[in-house]
Amino acid sequence: MKTLSGVIIFFTCMAFAVYHHGWSNYDQENQIEFTGEIMESSYENPHGMATIEAEDGKTWEVVLAPPSRMQSRGLEKAMLEPGTTAKVVGYPHRENEDEMRAERIIINEKTTELR
Amino acid sequence: MYDWAEWLEQTNLASGIRKGLWFYPAIEIIHIIGFVILVGTAIMFDLRLLGVSNKISVVKLANYLLPWSRRSLLIILPSGFLLFMTNAITLAYDPVFRIKLSLIAIAGINALIFHTLVFKSVKAWDINQVAPAAARINAVTSIILWLSVICCGRLLAY
Repeated sequence: MKTLSGVIIFFTCMAFAVYHHGWSNYDQENQIEFTGEIMESSYENPHGMATIEAEDGKTWEVVLAPPSRMQSRGLEKAMLEPGTTAKVVGYPHRENEDEMRAERIIINEKTTELR
Repeated sequence: MYDWAEWLEQTNLASGIRKGLWFYPAIEIIHIIGFVILVGTAIMFDLRLLGVSNKISVVKLANYLLPWSRRSLLIILPSGFLLFMTNAITLAYDPVFRIKLSLIAIAGINALIFHTLVFKSVKAWDINQVAPAAARINAVTSIILWLSVICCGRLLAY
């Protein structure tokens, strides 16, 4: 009985995992890439975000990496200023169709791995 | 609806933690060290109640381990609150966060029941005795709850 309730609690927690940004919430079988203009960006913990309007007109919420990782790999805050053109390679979120997590981002021919 | 969460998230403190490179991971590390001590001591004590290392006095083990469980709260609660502040609006609506807090509250009640009712008769089962069923139920409940709290916490950490 106790074990059963523990198992139920555990899987209840797992069921809500879709609200989060771990890699498993993104469809890694389905890699996408696009180029677009950064409309807005944040360089904050737990991970940076960028709103990017792709050339086809679709606006994506792109999950980047923690600031410490971006900085150590040379992706400075200033490089994500609105108006910058960026190419993004990554995976769409399984539930939120406007959200994707970037595997890498290419700005001014500089590629930064984000994983 | 959650004005207070919005206010918390917009305080200079919350914004400073988000923008600093190392504040956030440092607070996460402190939170982890804290709950390792809390859950570690709790589960070691629970296992003793379930009959592991029966030669050790339950009273002596309680006197050694449980003060550490209480002290660990002094670093877990403030660090947890700081992490909550940085993302207060999302967390306030997040069912996993609510489940996590509820499980912690139930674990607290479980410990309270053990200390106020069950532990009173400990002299009869201090060493080399099987603990009463009530104590063993408290122990199993405690283990399940704390492990579930850790699962929820992991799901919350982005």
